Amino acid sequence: MFCNSYGLIPVSSSPPPSISPSSLHPRIYYPSNSQLRTKFGSLKAKSKLNDVVSYAELDNRSFYHLLGIPETGTLLEIKQAYKQLARKYHPDVSPPDRVEEYTQRFIRVQEAYEILSDPRMRDMYDKDMAKGLHFAFSARRRYQNDESMEEIGEWKNRWQSQLSELKRRSTRKDSGNSMSWGARMRRQRNEASS
Amino acid sequence: MAEQAYTVASDSETTGEEKTSPAFPEIAIGIDIGTSQCSVAVWNGSQVELLRNTRNRKLMRSYVTFKDEVPAGGVSDELAHEYDMLSGAAIFNMKRLIGRVDTDPVVHASKNLPFLVQTLDIGVRPFIAALVNKMWRSTTPEEVLAIFLVELRAMAEVKLRRPVRNVVLTIPVSFSRFQLTRIERACAMAGLHVLRLMPEPTAVALLYAQQQQQSAHENMGSGSEKIALIFNMGAGYCDVAITATAGGVSQIKALAGSTVGGEDLLQNLMHHLLPSMDHIFSSHGIEEIKRMGLLRVATQDAIHQLSSEMSVPIDVDLGNGTKISKFLERAEFEEVNKEVFQKCETLIKRCLCDAKLEAEDVHDVIIVGGCSYIPKVRNIVMSICKREELYSGMNPLEAAVRGAALEGAVASGISDPFGSLDLLTIQATPLSIGIQADGSNFVPIIHQNTTTPVRKEQNFTTVHDNQAEALIFVYEGDEKTVEDNHLLGYFKITGIPPVPKGVPEINVCMDIDASNVLRVFAGVIIPGAKCPPPFMEVRMPTVDDGHAWSAQTLHKTYGSTLDLVTVKKKGQH
Repeated sequence: MFCNSYGLIPVSSSPPPSISPSSLHPRIYYPSNSQLRTKFGSLKAKSKLNDVVSYAELDNRSFYHLLGIPETGTLLEIKQAYKQLARKYHPDVSPPDRVEEYTQRFIRVQEAYEILSDPRMRDMYDKDMAKGLHFAFSARRRYQNDESMEEIGEWKNRWQSQLSELKRRSTRKDSGNSMSWGARMRRQRNEASS
Repeated sequence: MAEQAYTVASDSETTGEEKTSPAFPEIAIGIDIGTSQCSVAVWNGSQVELLRNTRNRKLMRSYVTFKDEVPAGGVSDELAHEYDMLSGAAIFNMKRLIGRVDTDPVVHASKNLPFLVQTLDIGVRPFIAALVNKMWRSTTPEEVLAIFLVELRAMAEVKLRRPVRNVVLTIPVSFSRFQLTRIERACAMAGLHVLRLMPEPTAVALLYAQQQQQSAHENMGSGSEKIALIFNMGAGYCDVAITATAGGVSQIKALAGSTVGGEDLLQNLMHHLLPSMDHIFSSHGIEEIKRMGLLRVATQDAIHQLSSEMSVPIDVDLGNGTKISKFLERAEFEEVNKEVFQKCETLIKRCLCDAKLEAEDVHDVIIVGGCSYIPKVRNIVMSICKREELYSGMNPLEAAVRGAALEGAVASGISDPFGSLDLLTIQATPLSIGIQADGSNFVPIIHQNTTTPVRKEQNFTTVHDNQAEALIFVYEGDEKTVEDNHLLGYFKITGIPPVPKGVPEINVCMDIDASNVLRVFAGVIIPGAKCPPPFMEVRMPTVDDGHAWSAQTLHKTYGSTLDLVTVKKKGQH
C-alpha cells in the first residue's frame, strides 16, 4: 500500500532515523503529565505545590493505604471504606473550590476499589506487593493491561468471570464472619470452655 | 457481628469550607420529560414536592400545539379531547425524535404520527412540521422541546415564587452524547442551565437509596449494602439499571437501555388492526390525519383496558368504508408485541450479566414508567428476577422526577438537618467510548459501565511506514464496527516522526469529568525529544447534524492513509 500525497513525509535519500523499540520504553505517564498541565494551564492562582506533592505520595501508597484498610481487610470493609471515601471525594459532594483535586482523588480511590473488590485482581495485586512492586500507580497499569488481554477470547472472558464469581462467593461467605481461621477457632474454643 | 453504619467521617477542613458557601444557593429543580408525559419536582426544604399546573395536574402531556402565532404546550394547555392532539397541529414524541437522523429506524417509525415527519434517507435531520391553517409549518424537535420547557419554567417560577435557572433532567439510558447536546441546546433556548443529565433509572436508584437510608435510621439498623434492579419502561424508551446502595450512596453497577416503549406497542397493534395503515396514511392529507387520530385513540384505549381486562371490544369507524370491529384478546396483544417483550427480557439479562450478578443477588426489584402497568411487562421482570413480588414503595409515574429533585438538591449543595439529603449517586457510563482502529473496528477506551469521573488511556501506532499524520475518529456505542456506533467527532494529529510502521507511540486518553464532559487528548510520544509536538485536547462531541456524511467523506478521501492500529502487547497475537 502506498501513502498518497496526504500524510506522506518527503522522501529523503538517507534512510529515516531509526528509533529502536527499546529506546521508546521510558514511558511518559500521561495522566500525571496532564494533571500538571491542567494545573498550570488553568492558572489557578493558589499555590498547588502541596497538592502536587500529595499526588506523588498517593501514587506511592498501596491501594490498602489509599482506602485506609489493613491488608487483611474483608470485602465488606473494602466496600465500606470505598463508600465513605466516595462521600468525601466525589465531585458531587466535595467543596466547590476543591472539585478538581478531589476528582483526582476519587478516581484513585475508585481504581483501588476496583482492584481490591475483585478477588482475582486483588490476588494478583497482593502477590505483586509481596514481591515489592507495591506502587499503586504502576500496578494499576499492569492490571489494566491484563484486563484488556482478557478480551482476546470470549471464552477466556467467560471462564474468568465464572472463576471470579466463584471466588467472589467464597469471599462473601468469609466476609460474613469477618475473621481469620485462627480467630474463629479461638472463639470456638472460648465458647466451648465458657 | 453488627455492621457499622456508613457515616461521613468528620473532616474539619471540608466541613469548614462547606459552611462558608453562599447562604441561599438556588435549589435546582428536577424535570422528567417523558415521551408522553412530563413532571417537575423540587426539594421544598424537608421533602420532595411535585409541582402542579394551574389545572392542578402533577403529570402533564408532553406536546406543543402550533396555531396562529403563539404555540401552546401541554403545561398550560388543556385539550378538549384527545383528538385535538391528533389534528396535525400538535407535535409530540419529541424525545423519540431529538438528535436522530433520517436514516434512523426510530424516525421512520415516527412517520405514522399525525404530524409531518419527512425523511430523505441520506443521514441528515428529518423534516418535521405541524399543520397550521392548512399548511405544514416546519419546526425541529429542539424547538418544540424548548417551547415546552419555557412553559414548564414559567409554571415552576409561579409556584416557587422565585426565578428558576438550574435543572436536573432525566434522560433515557440509550441516549448518545450527541443527543445529550440537543437536550442541552433546548434547555439553553429555554433559559435553563443543566446541572445534571441523569439516566432515568439512576434517578429512581437515588430515591431508593434515600428510602433505604431512612428505613435504616428508623430501625436503628445496619447500613448493609442492598442491590436493586430498576426496570423503567415509558412510551419511548426502556431502561434497566442495577444499583448497590448503602448509607445513602447509590453506586450504579450496570446500565442497559433501548428504544422500545409504549409507542412501539401502540404502533404494532395499530398495524395489526389495520395492516394497510402505512399505505393509507402515507399522503398525510387532512382526512387521513383525522383517521389516523381515530385509530390511535382507539388502540391506546384498548391497550389501557387490557391491563385489567382479558379482552376488549374495538369499534372504530375510520370513514371511507374502513371500519374496525372486533374483540381483542390480551394474548393477541402480547403475541403482536412479542419482539418488544423479548427486547425487554434481553435488556434485563444483559444488565445482570454486566453487573456480574445473579437474579438471587438482587434484594429489591423496582418497576417504574407508564408500561409498568402492563401485566406482561410485570411478568417478564418478575420471572427473570425470580420473585413473587416487586418493590412497592414508589409511585411508578413519579419515581424518576422525585429522584431528579433529590439530585438537584444534592448537586446544589443543600444539606438537610435530618440527614435526608446525605445522598450520593456514583454514575457509570451507559455506552463505551473509543476510537476507530484496526480497520473499521471500534476500540473502546472507556468501557461501558465504567464509574465516572474517569480517565483512561491506550496506545496506538501507525499502519504505514513514515506515516506523519493520523485521524482520530471518536465513537460511542457497543457495536464491533464503527458504522454501527455513534460518531462523536474526529481530529487529526500531526508531527509523527518518519519511522517504520508500528514504531510510533500514539497515546489517546479519554477523560470524563464531574459534570460528565468528555475530553479526548491525543498525541505522539517521542522519548527524549526536546520539544515534542503538542498534544491535542478536544471536547466531544464536535459533530453536528449530518455527521454520518463527514465520516464517509473522510474515509473516501483518505482511505487508510491516516489509520491507526492498537499496540499489540507481548504474548498477545
